[in-house]
Order: sequence, then C-alpha cells, then structure tokens
Amino acid sequence: MSEGLRHRLLVNLGRLVVLAAILVGAELGIRYGLLSRLFFSSPSEIFAALQAELDKGTFLPDVGFTVFETLLGLAAGSLSGMAVGLTLPQVRIISNVIEPFLMVLNGIPVIVIAPLFILWLGLGLASKVGISIYIVFFAMFIPVYTASLRLDTALVDALRVMGASRWQIFWKVIVPSSLPSVYTGLKIGSGLALIGAVIGEFVASRAGLGHMILYASGNLDTPALYLGIIALAAFAAALSLAVDAIGPLLVHWRFADEK
Amino acid sequence: MPSRLVSANRCSDRPAPDSRTVLEFRNISFSFSGRRETIDVLRNVSFTCREDEIVAVIGPSGCGKSTLLSLATGLRKPSAGEVLIDGKVVKGADPRLGMLFQQTTLLPWRSVEENVELGLEIRGEPKRVRRRRAIALVQQYGLAGFERKYPHALSGGMQKRAALAQTLAIEPKVLLLDEPFAALDAQTRIIIQNDVVKICRAGRRSMLIVTHDIAEALAMADRIVVLSRRPATVKELYEVPFSREAASVADAPAMPGFADDYKRIWNALDISITGMGAAA
Repeated sequence: MSEGLRHRLLVNLGRLVVLAAILVGAELGIRYGLLSRLFFSSPSEIFAALQAELDKGTFLPDVGFTVFETLLGLAAGSLSGMAVGLTLPQVRIISNVIEPFLMVLNGIPVIVIAPLFILWLGLGLASKVGISIYIVFFAMFIPVYTASLRLDTALVDALRVMGASRWQIFWKVIVPSSLPSVYTGLKIGSGLALIGAVIGEFVASRAGLGHMILYASGNLDTPALYLGIIALAAFAAALSLAVDAIGPLLVHWRFADEK
Repeated sequence: MPSRLVSANRCSDRPAPDSRTVLEFRNISFSFSGRRETIDVLRNVSFTCREDEIVAVIGPSGCGKSTLLSLATGLRKPSAGEVLIDGKVVKGADPRLGMLFQQTTLLPWRSVEENVELGLEIRGEPKRVRRRRAIALVQQYGLAGFERKYPHALSGGMQKRAALAQTLAIEPKVLLLDEPFAALDAQTRIIIQNDVVKICRAGRRSMLIVTHDIAEALAMADRIVVLSRRPATVKELYEVPFSREAASVADAPAMPGFADDYKRIWNALDISITGMGAAA
C-alpha cells in the first residue's frame, strides 16, 4: 500500500470516528440524563423532529425557499459584481468618483442594512434575495476590481501593437485575467449568499430555514432548532463543494500540464 | 581586414540601390511632463531601416531607446517629427509592424497554438486559416508537441520562440525587438538570436533591435545606431563590415575587427566605469 493511500485511509477513518463519537455521545448523554434536553438533542430526537416537520409539510418548502434565495443571490450578486468590477476601471473618471461610495457601502454591517431591504421589498422572497445580492456583490466586486486595476499593461500593449480594438482587449485580456479573482469572489460569495438569505429571514419572514430556526428557538423546540442548523450546514457544505468543483474550470490553464 | 567603421558625420547611409527605405525616423523629438519639469527624452533623432536590413539601436540605460519603438508602433506619439513606414506617417497600430517585447507577452490562459493565432484572430481571419498558419509556425519554430501546452509549462527559450511565432504569424515587414533576449541564459540567447537573424534574412524582412548589449548589436545587425545620453541624439552610425559574412551569431566574435568595433562603440557610449577601487 502506498504511503499516500495509507494516509488518506487513516484520515477518513479518523473523521468517521469523530463523527460517530459525537452522534453516540449525544444519543447516550441524552438517554442517561447526562445532557440537558433543553440545550442538546439526541440524533433520534432530531430524526423524530424531521419526521414531524415533514408531516407538517413546511420543512421541504422552508429548505427550498432558503436554497432558492441563496442561489439567486449568489448568481445575481456574482454577475453584477463581476460586471461592475470589470467595467468600472475602464472609465477612470467614473471609477474615481464612485469608489469611495462603494467602499463606505461595503463597510456597513449587513445586519443593519437588512431592515431597509425588508422595508423596500417586503416580507417575501425579494428582500432576502436583495440582501444576499448586496453582500455577494461586494465579495465579487472587490477582488475583480482590484485585479482590473493591477492589469498587466505589457499584455495590453502587445495586443494594441497587433491592432486590437478596445473591445477586443477587454474580452481577450481584461476578462480572462480577472478569472482567478472571479474564482476567489465565488468562494467567498457562496458562503455570504447563504448568510445574507438567513439574515433576511431572521429579521422578518414567513418561510425559510432561518424562519424555522427562529420559530423553533421561540418555542424552545430544541430538536427542531438542531434540525434547522444541520440542514443549513449540509446545504452550505454542498454549495462549497460545488464551487470547488466548478471554480477550477475558470482557471483551467493553471491546472493543465504541470511541468 | 581593416574595419570599415564610419561615423555619422562622414557617411550617412551605405549606398544600396536595390533596397529601399521601409522604416524612417525623421527629426523625432519626444518629451514628457514630469512632476516639476518637462523631460526631454529624444532630440531630433533621424535614421532609417531599409528592406532586408537589421539595424540595432544602442545607447546608455534610460536614454530612450525603447521609446523609439513605442513611437513606431503608435503606442506613443512624437512631440515633433514623424515616423514613416513605406513613406507613410504612422498614426496608430500598423499591420506591417510586429513587435517582440522584453517581457513575455504570451497570454497565460491560451495554449501555445492559441497564442500564435492571436494576431490573426484580431484581424478577423477565419478559424481554419488561423489554425493552419499557427500549426505551420509552431512546427517551424521547434515547438512541435507543445501546441497544447500553456506558457507556464515552457522554458524561457521556448516561451521566446512562441512569442516570436506569435509576432511573425501576421507576417510583418518590419520586426521590432525591445531587448528581447535579456532574460535568457547565455547559450539559449545565442541560439535564439541566430534563429531571429535567419528568419529575418529568409523573409527579406527589416528588423530594428533595441539593445544595451554591444556584442548582440555587432553579432546581429548590419548597422548600429549609437544614441547619446538623454536627451538622446544620434551620436554615431556604424556599419558592421562582417554582418553577412559570419556563419552564425556565435561566429561573429571571431570575425576580424569585432574586438576593435566593440571597443569603439564602448567608447562612443561614453560610460565611465567607477566601480569598486576605480575611484582615484
């Protein structure tokens, strides 16, 4: 058995042991009264809560609501952050005028902006998507904008000598050179998109996992509270895995034919 | 063989009835506004480069050699005077010019083949034509098997070859080189210098090479323009007597007269060596 394979097997085995210890520990701790039912829940209680929520018929819509808000916020926020980050440096005077405004906006904690979005866009989906777009926009805009400002001018000169138009330079040099930053923005943005959606749901909402968690917490329904947290964690992990799978395609040349 | 070095005062151009002027710098001055004062970079610089001729421009560091090239490519505009290609004033990027830069200008996200296609792509050539030309050039410049590799996977010498193929894909009449071999190791440099000279001669192309390396200028060029310190003027104009006689760039230093020419150009550059222990 090779050294690398052995290492990987050991790591995965270790992870399984840690997970099993947590699950078995919680189950036994609750069952024998070592852990308080108010603060902790056992896996079987959480599973029962899942069945109860499914029976109520609100769990899947809540999950769908939050997932949809997050994905929409991530897509729209990333695209707009990219578009502004790429085009703004092209018109120096406008970028100089606008930059401080964007930086101040970016500095405001999203939690205090959230009530404004609820006010503008209502209690439904739109306000959550809006908050999500808002924070994802900056996560994408800042790296892309910074990269555009630090563009390798030698490449631009080389294309100009070949007779390239501004439009050709934009698409053949400026956009591709921003792709590593787009990957960075996507990685940060995917985490923030979910945070934005859930913050919106916490401030005011009628559905979503954030709403379910808040409701469970108000009712001291600890197993449902854990269920909501676990569902959010699972979605966050899936989203992060998806970005890690898609992201390298954006910078394919960095992974191709290593020496 | 006595060297036939001539100074600008005594002889302006070697008479060659069959070759015509392709690139001409006519009374070029260039200055830019610094923080406090205007800085004069070039003052009344005139010289020509004919068809099938290699001209080297040499001068002290920071004298504005590279500025000359950016004026020819239209990246900058002269403060006075004009650059002419085939008798017409340069206004912007000219399809008859190709330029090889000092630093690598291959796009890192494009394979070697895609990089070679770039110039043709900008001109709107159809994909089939571009690909055929690129594949031929890649083979010709010893990059076969590396078509699909990305620049970062290539050695410095191969990157330079790929950049050369990219520049020549659009078949420029005049090749401009801005200290293009400075970053290469000594042996690779000689091989590539030799390739460039051969390619240039084979296509009867004109070449203007900016360098600070006297040996490089003597080994590659037919004529050498020596610029003075800033504001740069044409200080001397040398003809290299053995330019077409040496079998290769590597053989040039063994040609009679090479050492004398080297010394004369060094003196013309008027660089004082005041290194350690040199101060009196």
